Amino acid sequence: MAKKKFVVGCFDDEAVLFPAVKKVRTAGYKIHDIYTPFPVHGLDHAMGLRETSLHTAGFIYGITGTTTALSGIGWVFTKDWPVNIGGKPHFDLPAWIPITFELTVLFAAVGMVLTFCYLCQLSPFIKKHHFHERATDDLFVMVIECTEKTNSDDLQAFLRTNGAVEVNVQNAEPGWWLGLYGKEDQLIRDTQVVA
Amino acid sequence: MASIREQFEIPGKLKTWSYALIGVGVLAFILGLVTKGIGGNEHDHNVFIGTLMYNSIFFTLICNASMFFICATTLAMGGWQVVFRRIPEAISTMVPIFGSITFVILLYIIGSHNHHIYHWLSEEAKSDPVLKGKLGFLNPTFYITWSVLTIGLWSVLGARIRKLSSEADDAITMNGEAGQSFIWRNTVSAALFIVWFALTVGSTVPWLWMMSIDAHWYSTMYSWYTFASSFVSGMSLIALWVVYLKNKGYLEYANEEHLHDIGKFMFAFSIFWTYLWFSQYMLIWYANIPEETIYFKHRVQGPYRGLFFLNIILNFVCPILILMKRGAKRNYTLITFMSVLIIFGHWVDFYQMVMGSISKEEVTLGWLDFGIAALFVGLMIFFVAKALAKKPLMPKYHPFLKESIIHHT
Amino acid sequence: MHLKYESQLREPLVSGNKDYHQVSEDICRPIEVKPTKLWYVGFFIAITFLCFGVYCVYREVTYGIGQWNLNKTIGWGWDITNFVWWVGIGHAGTLISAILLLFRQGWRTGVNRAAEAMTIFAVMCAGQFPVFHMGRVWMAFFVLPYPNTRGPLWPNFNSPLLWDVFAISTYLTVSLLFWYSGLLPDFATVRDRAKTKLRKMLYGVAAFGWTGSTKHWQRHESLSLVLAGLSTPLVLSVHTIVSFDFATSVIPGWHTTIFPPYFVAGAVFSGFAMVQTLMLMLRKVFLLEDYITMGHIEAMNKVIVLTGSIVGVAYLTELFMGWYSQNKFEGYTFWYSRANLFSPYGWSYWGMMACNVISPQIFWFRKLRRNIYVTFFMSIIVNIGMWFERFVIIVTSLYRDYLPSSWSPYYSPTIWEMGFYLGTFGLFFTCFFLFAKYFPVIAIAEIKAVLKTSGENFKETVGKEEEMQPETFAHEYAHAH
Repeated sequence: MAKKKFVVGCFDDEAVLFPAVKKVRTAGYKIHDIYTPFPVHGLDHAMGLRETSLHTAGFIYGITGTTTALSGIGWVFTKDWPVNIGGKPHFDLPAWIPITFELTVLFAAVGMVLTFCYLCQLSPFIKKHHFHERATDDLFVMVIECTEKTNSDDLQAFLRTNGAVEVNVQNAEPGWWLGLYGKEDQLIRDTQVVA
Repeated sequence: MASIREQFEIPGKLKTWSYALIGVGVLAFILGLVTKGIGGNEHDHNVFIGTLMYNSIFFTLICNASMFFICATTLAMGGWQVVFRRIPEAISTMVPIFGSITFVILLYIIGSHNHHIYHWLSEEAKSDPVLKGKLGFLNPTFYITWSVLTIGLWSVLGARIRKLSSEADDAITMNGEAGQSFIWRNTVSAALFIVWFALTVGSTVPWLWMMSIDAHWYSTMYSWYTFASSFVSGMSLIALWVVYLKNKGYLEYANEEHLHDIGKFMFAFSIFWTYLWFSQYMLIWYANIPEETIYFKHRVQGPYRGLFFLNIILNFVCPILILMKRGAKRNYTLITFMSVLIIFGHWVDFYQMVMGSISKEEVTLGWLDFGIAALFVGLMIFFVAKALAKKPLMPKYHPFLKESIIHHT
Repeated sequence: MHLKYESQLREPLVSGNKDYHQVSEDICRPIEVKPTKLWYVGFFIAITFLCFGVYCVYREVTYGIGQWNLNKTIGWGWDITNFVWWVGIGHAGTLISAILLLFRQGWRTGVNRAAEAMTIFAVMCAGQFPVFHMGRVWMAFFVLPYPNTRGPLWPNFNSPLLWDVFAISTYLTVSLLFWYSGLLPDFATVRDRAKTKLRKMLYGVAAFGWTGSTKHWQRHESLSLVLAGLSTPLVLSVHTIVSFDFATSVIPGWHTTIFPPYFVAGAVFSGFAMVQTLMLMLRKVFLLEDYITMGHIEAMNKVIVLTGSIVGVAYLTELFMGWYSQNKFEGYTFWYSRANLFSPYGWSYWGMMACNVISPQIFWFRKLRRNIYVTFFMSIIVNIGMWFERFVIIVTSLYRDYLPSSWSPYYSPTIWEMGFYLGTFGLFFTCFFLFAKYFPVIAIAEIKAVLKTSGENFKETVGKEEEMQPETFAHEYAHAH
């Protein structure tokens, strides 16, 4: 796990953030991420992120559930152990619809949530570097990755002129590791916060 | 900033189309009248009347669904529909026209004591142990009174809401007090309509007009099922007009965002219809009581078997598969296609609901049905276009108009 | 960025002078301070009820179902009444979060979190009844379909009771996932504000390492929307399947096709009443009047009058068909056992009518919709009425069926039967008190997302759009877009 150098600019108003994103991108900087306290509509487009295809995954999980239910019940009632229930035929489709529907929803929901957690690396006991603790409160935290060519002082000044209320440079681990919050952590301690 | 086209002018082509459809319809009506209505045997006569009956009821109900849509969104304090609100308003002007046609047909059935359609009109009914008990509800006096009240109040309450909507054209400002009071009066009128709607479409009217054809049979779900069927087709009808006007360069501010939400309604209520369909069918199938299963006997196992499955494919399988994707609901072509499909599908549904009981032994779906449907579609195009041309297409000073302009999903 | 605009005519969803930080402050405060005396008193009462309930269940498990006053004819009594009642209550949460999300009702943001929590606790309570009604509860796993050594004997997939097993467990799971995925960002807010190490650690675990990354938010939005889309038919299916428990059987008063949508409407009705009860207490105790405003209460009262009236139409439909069908048994059940006030259980039918159909009609009046005391009183009345409804359906249909020789004497529950019910209240409120103390009771991130369009202080500043001509407005919007 390699640490990287980031320039961090914090904004306190989404109306200022949008033009800043545009300027930072046209200036050729690479935005690592923007951390916001709530979903800001249109920010993903402004950053040029691609659409998520999570819902397609959900559809596939759902179809799997439908198939599981129908084939499972169908096998049990026509092949494995056909029982005469109220004189109805063994292949009893209307009576299977409720369970089929429930399993479709169950598979889709559980599958999607697990996929979501996997994609976003979310789980208990996972720890990540947080660039600003008010990113979950009232600040929109733009994090720009530095390359060899980046002059971090210029970049900080650039962010300030574009409305950032707070800027700094941080060396941080961009990935995740196992750990607990509230405990001093090796990776956190190493982080240099240059005001 | 170009000025927008707010005033609908009826294109010549649309007029021609409506005349052509009406022409085809009238021709079919006359041919039907000659060959079946007067010329044929008793069965043909009933088929002819039945065809007129389900078409008129279907088209009245789907036009009335537009008014229901307006009232429901008004009560929910919805803002998104305002840019195209004048379209359902125009469609709802059809209620008095189609309602009167329906009434004349129903009156004819009652007046001619057609007990092949309404078995409870016959003399035997008075001695039938089940039917004689029902005569307190199924009798000509109540039938006619209630139908007059129903169609009359739908028309009056609808007209009241349309009139109120005109205020949003000429008021200088709708801000503050005036806007507040406008919204309030809209809410009250909408609530009145909804209450009457619940007492008619939501309960009594489908029992009286359609369920009583199978005079012995009953299902508590019947009216809600009819409502779901007519509402989803009503939404599709609105979608068709929105797309048409958009293609003609009107409705500047309606865009795919609004279409998306209309599409959601079409999608959701297709599923809702399926849900009611399934609940009714499955419960009757499961309990397997002969008095109840008789309704499905010739529909599932008899000559209507094909239509029975077509009904589910058109009204459930197609909408759920095609309209599920976000892109589909925002695509003008697909929405047009789906709207036509859904309206056709529910027309078939009404066909089997009514004709499945009148003509149990054979499916008579053919030129007469399509001809009569063409008559109603032609009339609808003609009068709706006329109603659209009467008012600006956008209620310019509606307090929620701006919310509707920037609406996005 | 999308232009934010909302008509001035709409009531603000958040009142007072708020900014983003203030929202975090207001909602996290109850978590960060010591609980009040009132909280302890309430919690203690809840625990007491729970303990009594556990004792009643202990007696039932040890001595058997004979501890209850059920008999061969009335095989379902208070237990299944309570089951259906709790499941019904468990509908409002998902309805608020899912259906109102799809219908763009902005006011849902203030109440969805607590309503979803309520849903989960209510479903947990509901689950107790059928499980303990099994008698030999240690055999409960027999309902699970897995290859086994008993035959191999599979559960009956054609039975509505098994559909219930699938429906309720799916509903509980999906509601939990929906609720928890919404909680992640708010737990992160609490974590990042935490002053003590322990709190930081615990909320750190709960927040799953949420950072607020834009990509994560994008996926989160997609997830919420799909889960909402899935939950909408799911919430309908659950009470539908509960209604199938009754409607598939050939018992007068039960076998009727309108049951599925009518049960759903009733469930939403009772669910909203319970949400109303809890919200009125919550906003008072935790000083959240700025977030759960009069506007929210009025909107919920509108839903109550709407669903109450739908249920009313369904009651009348059933009653009408009881006559129209000219079926002697239906007629007897509806017109004698139920609608006749002087029949043994007539009181319960008229109690139901008075509570569910007649009294909610007062909410047609705006003044009464916006009166807290009336609202609170009505929310209790509706909950009682909906309990009556299930009692009416179950007991009046069962106590006199086709065979007069098996007609039952008057059924009234034993103390242990009632105690079980009281015990579930204990469970419900114990959970709810813990939730209210340790969880953000209002969705912080969602409130922040609507703050600038619907916050009182922000609404006052956007007068200029209000004056614009629609053409100018649309023009400006097209540019900002």
